[in-house]
Amino acid sequence: MTSHIPKDDEWRFPLDERRKVQSLAVIRREALKKRIRHYPAFPEHIWNQLRFRPLDQWLTQGGVLIAAMLLALWLRRENTGSLNSVTACSVFLVFAGNICLNHAARLFSWHMAELEQTLYLNLKQLICIRMLEAGIADLIILALFLGITGHNNTMGIGVTLLYMLVPFLWSDTLYLHMLVHIRSTSYGFRSFALGLLCGILALFPVLWAPAYEPENLIIWQILAFAGLSVLIAEIYSILTKIERGDHICLN
Amino acid sequence: MPELTLDRITKHFKNKIAVDNVSLCLKEGIYGFLGANGAGKTTLLRMICGVLKPTAGEIRYDGAEIGRLDGDYRCMLGYLPQDFGYYPDFSARRYLEYLAACKAIPRELARDKVQEMLRLTGLEADQRAKIKTFSGGMIRRLGIAQALLNDPEILILDEPTSGLDPKERIRFRNIISSLSKGRIIILSTHIVSDVEFIADKILLMKQGRIESQGAVGEITRDIEGRVWEYLADQEEALRMNDIFAVSNLKNEGEKVRLRIVSDACPREGAVPVHPGLEDVYLYHFEEVSEHVDNLERRAL
Repeated sequence: MTSHIPKDDEWRFPLDERRKVQSLAVIRREALKKRIRHYPAFPEHIWNQLRFRPLDQWLTQGGVLIAAMLLALWLRRENTGSLNSVTACSVFLVFAGNICLNHAARLFSWHMAELEQTLYLNLKQLICIRMLEAGIADLIILALFLGITGHNNTMGIGVTLLYMLVPFLWSDTLYLHMLVHIRSTSYGFRSFALGLLCGILALFPVLWAPAYEPENLIIWQILAFAGLSVLIAEIYSILTKIERGDHICLN
Repeated sequence: MPELTLDRITKHFKNKIAVDNVSLCLKEGIYGFLGANGAGKTTLLRMICGVLKPTAGEIRYDGAEIGRLDGDYRCMLGYLPQDFGYYPDFSARRYLEYLAACKAIPRELARDKVQEMLRLTGLEADQRAKIKTFSGGMIRRLGIAQALLNDPEILILDEPTSGLDPKERIRFRNIISSLSKGRIIILSTHIVSDVEFIADKILLMKQGRIESQGAVGEITRDIEGRVWEYLADQEEALRMNDIFAVSNLKNEGEKVRLRIVSDACPREGAVPVHPGLEDVYLYHFEEVSEHVDNLERRAL
């Protein structure tokens, strides 16, 4: 007895082409109704925020950086001492930091906060991303300034950091507070004036000669710790207010 | 089919109750929220959008609390706030592209979607112009365009037609009507004609509560027999206008035809007429009873 081994084609049931077309049409219709949601990755969010940063902010930032570098290099050539370079860079760091912060605080201007809170990337997430961007930019600028002032620097990296970061911290905190709480429709002029005012505050140690005496280092340390605490409290306060919502709607 | 449930929603601002124990179930269709300024419409819409947190109660979308859905809920949301925000130094196109990015619309799709919305709202020719050069009507149209960018399942429009001329208003109504399939559209306004012709359901809000709700036909039926027309002479018309809630006043030669909303017949000779939505609005927001009380006190 010979056994019949079926070929591949013989295993298949005959297809009803008409029903196949009908079924595929139904599936296609249902598939069209389905929403395919896009979940952007974190780097995409970062890039999206960067590409919508206004051109004037990029240009001002670039201008401040170039001016700071030229001044520091000139001071170095003149051999005026590392303290002068550090002092000059600390003032420029404040202005550069304020420009970075401006982009974050822009979210609260022109009645945009309420609308932004309803987007996929809501206001809280937007402010976190922009603060992160500002933080990274500040670190890069700080590293640049440290590099410039490093030549013949007898103070040591810790003290140099302290002299640069204390005015930056306090000025940034004050600027952030002002931009978020005194927000209005007059975005440009007011924020520029506030930025300038907060930057001028950074000149205080420059005007007070004993500020850089070694015995006053403890004051710098206390100010650094206090400044960091106030900045964290300010960010926490902003995020809590966004969460509650009441203050967003009053802009 | 989307379903939005508001379960005993209350919102307090210090001592003031802005929204008071509102419960609603919204399904596909257009819902028109009507109410005077300060009735709580905007607060309620802000809670639905997740901008404000309710003091008590819960908002659910298809059974899930909206706070838990987080970004997934906001992906389905289109919102036009009463105070519509925009960056004046952005062009219309750049502004829409920015919002498309924040709404997580893929970049290649966003470009087409932005053009589609600019076309729909008639801003295509001005897409490169800075928003600060736009008229009030154009800014409002831009607001509508941004709300529709992500093809939202829930569309919330707070005073969408303020600043629009009659032609633009009609155009807006037609756009909204054409979009109603498969969506929940919530329109808040105090302009009755904005919702009269397109809303499937009207919700009248007063002092934070839903005073009355239903289709236009149902809601007008409630005040059947309380709307009157009366032909008065000029002097009498002025006096009656002070006393009664008059929804329309039309000169007819020497006489004036008054349309009066009143529980009782305002004057002998007044004839009852079929009420419209404006009469309903006046009935609920002009305190008809006060006028009737005045009427009795003055013993006309």
